[in-house]
Amino acid sequence: MRNFVGLRAIPEMEYHRPIALEQALKLLSELKEGCKIIAGGTDLVPAARRGRMSSSGHIHIIDISSIKDLDYIIKEDDMIRIGAITRLSEVGASTVVKEHVSILAEAASQLGSLQVRNLGTIGGNLCNASPAADTAPPLLALDARVNIRGIGKQRLVPLKEFFTGPGETILAPGEILAEVQIPITEPTAGSCFIKLGRRNAFTLSIVSVATLVKVKDGIFDDVRIALGAVAPTPIRASRAEEHLTGKKVSEQVIDDGAKVVTSEVKPISDVRASAQYRKDMSYIVTKRALTMCFNGGQVTSFAGKG
Amino acid sequence: MKVPIKTKVNGKLYEQEVEVRSTLLDILRDELKIKSVHRGCEDGECGACTVLLNGKPVCSCLVLAAQVDGAEITTVEGLLKGDELHPLMLAFIENHAVQCGYCTPGVIMTAYSLLNNLTDFTDEDLRRGIEGNLCRCTGYIHIIKAIKAAKKCKDSGNWW
Amino acid sequence: MEERERRLVSGKGFYVDDIELPNMAHCIFVGSPYAHARIKSVDVSRALRLNGVLAIITGKEVAKLMDPLLATSSYGAIGWHWRTPKVYPLAVDKVRFQGEPVAAIIAEHPYIALDAADLIDIEYELLPPVSDVNEAMQPGSPLVYEEWEDNMQVHLEFNFGDIDAAFKEADRILRVSWHEGRVSGFPIEARGCIASYDRITGMLNMWSSTQAPFLGRQYISSALRLPTNKVRIVVADVGGAFGNKLNWWKDTVVGLGSIITGRPVKWVESKRELFLTGSHNRDVTWEGEVAVRNDGSILGVKAKFVKDLGVEGTNRGSAAMGIIPACCSVPNAYRLFKGLKIEACGVVTNKSPYCAYRGYGKDKGIKFMERIMQIVSRELNIEPEQIRLGNFIQPHQFPYKQISGYVYDSGDYPAVLKKALKLGEVDLWREKQRQARKQGKYIGVGVAFMVEPAGVAAPHCIYGGLTQARVSITSDGLVEVESDQTEIGQGSTITRTKVVANILGAKIDDIEVKRDTSDMPGSGVYSSRGAIYPTGALIRATRELKTRMIKLAGHFLNEEPAHIDITDSVFHSTKDPTKRMSLKELADCVYFRPGPRGLPHDMQVKHEILLDVSASWFSPNTAQNPTSTYATYCSGADIAVVEVDVETGAVSILKYAHVHDAGTLLDKDVVEGQIFGGIVQGIGEALSEELVYTKNGELLNNSYTDYVMPTAQDSPDIAMGHIETPSPFTELGQKGIGEAPIITSKAAIINAIEDALSPFNIRVPESPATRERIRRWILESQEG
Repeated sequence: MRNFVGLRAIPEMEYHRPIALEQALKLLSELKEGCKIIAGGTDLVPAARRGRMSSSGHIHIIDISSIKDLDYIIKEDDMIRIGAITRLSEVGASTVVKEHVSILAEAASQLGSLQVRNLGTIGGNLCNASPAADTAPPLLALDARVNIRGIGKQRLVPLKEFFTGPGETILAPGEILAEVQIPITEPTAGSCFIKLGRRNAFTLSIVSVATLVKVKDGIFDDVRIALGAVAPTPIRASRAEEHLTGKKVSEQVIDDGAKVVTSEVKPISDVRASAQYRKDMSYIVTKRALTMCFNGGQVTSFAGKG
Repeated sequence: MKVPIKTKVNGKLYEQEVEVRSTLLDILRDELKIKSVHRGCEDGECGACTVLLNGKPVCSCLVLAAQVDGAEITTVEGLLKGDELHPLMLAFIENHAVQCGYCTPGVIMTAYSLLNNLTDFTDEDLRRGIEGNLCRCTGYIHIIKAIKAAKKCKDSGNWW
Repeated sequence: MEERERRLVSGKGFYVDDIELPNMAHCIFVGSPYAHARIKSVDVSRALRLNGVLAIITGKEVAKLMDPLLATSSYGAIGWHWRTPKVYPLAVDKVRFQGEPVAAIIAEHPYIALDAADLIDIEYELLPPVSDVNEAMQPGSPLVYEEWEDNMQVHLEFNFGDIDAAFKEADRILRVSWHEGRVSGFPIEARGCIASYDRITGMLNMWSSTQAPFLGRQYISSALRLPTNKVRIVVADVGGAFGNKLNWWKDTVVGLGSIITGRPVKWVESKRELFLTGSHNRDVTWEGEVAVRNDGSILGVKAKFVKDLGVEGTNRGSAAMGIIPACCSVPNAYRLFKGLKIEACGVVTNKSPYCAYRGYGKDKGIKFMERIMQIVSRELNIEPEQIRLGNFIQPHQFPYKQISGYVYDSGDYPAVLKKALKLGEVDLWREKQRQARKQGKYIGVGVAFMVEPAGVAAPHCIYGGLTQARVSITSDGLVEVESDQTEIGQGSTITRTKVVANILGAKIDDIEVKRDTSDMPGSGVYSSRGAIYPTGALIRATRELKTRMIKLAGHFLNEEPAHIDITDSVFHSTKDPTKRMSLKELADCVYFRPGPRGLPHDMQVKHEILLDVSASWFSPNTAQNPTSTYATYCSGADIAVVEVDVETGAVSILKYAHVHDAGTLLDKDVVEGQIFGGIVQGIGEALSEELVYTKNGELLNNSYTDYVMPTAQDSPDIAMGHIETPSPFTELGQKGIGEAPIITSKAAIINAIEDALSPFNIRVPESPATRERIRRWILESQEG
């Protein structure tokens, strides 16, 4: 085991600051090994200080935070398009996001602290691929897609397929996540994002849940349930969604549906919470999030404040 | 590796070469001798190093120095008018919000930004706003009181 | 008076990391990743070759060049089971906790030192770690100190009164178990110091973030084999301490580093290092029985108390000694005790060193007692406030000698509690509680009361009550104040200034409290002693100085001293307003024109020619009552109203009230600031703070990410009230209060949670009552 040092120095690195996406892609394809992309740095810098940046060989930092073409929030017909380096605080405050895909605004506004949100980006949150990434559940519930660019190519990938494991994504060497595309759904029932942590604010999620529900004639027509921090990746609870679709909306039905979620989660036990608690909470928080969809509201973080 | 950066810090232009492996916190303290920006956890978790980066509060320990080329940075030193303390600072002193003082410059920068950007806020909003600034001494009570007192100053025009 | 605050808000702080000396080098510590291992070899050759590395110190150098660390307490001398191991600041042949420093690297730049850390090759032979305190107490457990037969560093029995009689007279015996998780203060500024050794004068100058520079000087000079007058410590601005900066073991190595390299050396501890290498606190378990009468009278408590010290509790900090106030504070505010018997065990494990954290030891006994009161209240179905009111020491009984030997100076406990009940709107909230239960919501009202012993002068340790203060007038008429009431952000400068201004009649702006250094003999700040000991000394010195000044002013103004008054730094005659002189003018007269030549004859003959007085102070309480190791005993009551979300276990605080009796208040705002801070720390301990170790002695949460402390969104509004019953034992009737608020807040929150969950018949067994634990207790109660 490595010697214990309270804080490691950021290793020696080479720094590149492309101002256009093509330039960044070119750099990535030329440098190949040892490339790390940085935008906000809220994950990369702490990781480096914990000694998690391997320094065998050269490290190349590609700072994409100056690529203005990746910093935008636009509504285009029935789609919201957000550039990868858009700061989370912008996402949370954007009237476009709040109006059309409010659960994303909720999640972005509760992630970390104000300081972290002013630096962290939506692309960074997704590419870091923590199972507890807070923007993931709402984006999954919204059936978002990501636009992945490589030199001379691009692919649109449903977010459902983006995460492959804790900290792992389908990004191949030389690729950059450039944009998040979110189809606007007009929920006739509602949507909700709830985050449960260990204190009222600035806390990693123990469980986070995003729900989006459409109802036709009192029957669940389209149910989306996405969870974070309860599996190796953020997930959609498709079994629970199936279970609810076509059923008459009632407290009991919601409760039963939320229980199904527990069969789909695969949480771990760590210092933050036990697997059992995460499993139980995935049911409780899902139930509440579904219920809130009908109470017309967005419940904010699980403050336990009444 | 060193890269050249140009920044405006507290209104003053700086041109310098910075080590890529250094953070904004490092260069503010060690190169520019701006000591109000404190080393807390250097992990983005305590807010003691909070500065305004292009007007927004960020943890300077999370920003690579190389990334701030072209940026404007404000610390508490930039809120002074010569030796005259900013009304927000006076509010902190008058409301006993300064105990050990280590979190103070960071909280002041966050509060400054909140007061400039929010026209109205509840206690809840305030507490949310400063959630990223940990304080172990005050229990936050006098800090909230100070920020509310500062808002009164701002509303009455005593502000800059 | 606010000069310090003005500096700190505008970036003119003088914290250790702000200080730059010419030619300064930087030190970092390299620690063991293992909790228990023998060191087979340490090879620093690769690290030394790194450009910019100046020196590397390992255990080998330390064992050769330093003496073992000073034991801060030792009761072995009086025949107690009290073991004191030989401890060095770096591991010499064995590591005993994860993170234990094995080497110190000194380099031109901190990054170079950090890069060198991975180039030190250490070969370990792993030993089985023992991290669970119960396992450590089993025969056959791995031994943390192989020279001991077991892991029991301290084993004591406290036996007061007649416990058998108490239990015989009881109507009921109730079992009580209570565990507090391991926590600590973790101030926003971690530890750190700069050491600068002057090879010509042999002087080691240090700048330190510390609570007690004079004690630090003793500790460091002893380790470095230097005379104490060759070590000088200047206290920098301190970014929070709370007891975590009452140890100096790493500083000794920084000092050695400067001696070896001949350069000033700076060490700034990183937060993760502070988390991992201590100092820690709490982590205690009580298993006991309480003897009660059906009317709620508490007759006696019998308990076994186990404290998990981590590695030993006497050399890296005073940890073991905290067992004594933990046990002696159990009777708290209650008068009907006939017997108290506690078997106390201080057990070593392969965990970080333990030292002081706000409360130190007495907090534990008080919290245990307040848990007992809650349990008794429920069992007997008597309201928690009634139980306390029935057991309280009454106002007419002071000074009151408690069964454990503490002599409580003054108080009006019923008044404090009643005021808190009113501020906390308890009746209203109990009604809301009733209504809420009908809707399946769970509100709880928690009550807690404490008597906080403050200002320790204990035997067989270095905290025997040393203090000195000095007040002087400079030659141009300013007042200079020096004492061991170290400024650590707790309002010491403000308080000292005000105390002196009030006595002397000097203008606030004319008074300067000098930066604290080791020049002033005294114990520093801890044990809430600042308002007691250093303040007592300061008051005595100031009064003496005033007498001298009045006499001199009378001499120069040709007026009777009885008719001289001082206001706003001006001496004036109360009979003839034309007779006036400023402090500045008096100073000039005394120093120079005419100087000693022109002073009153009797002063010349007694050689009392200077406006410079030093004085000390010792607790009259302790002098008269040696078993009362503490000088004053403030009291306080907390009311907490919480709502528990029984599905998630989340707790929200709906109402919080606190009433305090700290005797004469020296500065209300300073006191309130301390109380608010302490209450929120206590809430953090109650709900979320805990250091979690694996069975292998690995700390799982050594950062703010996972050691969950309250943010601004976790602190409630707090209604505050004060009552003042002056202490008969201090100069102004003031009492120490620094640690008090962290005690009852934790107890009140825990009691409130238990009250909220009473329909589930739950006893809260431990803290923190995290969301997950609360939910588990509810589920278990539903299954059982």
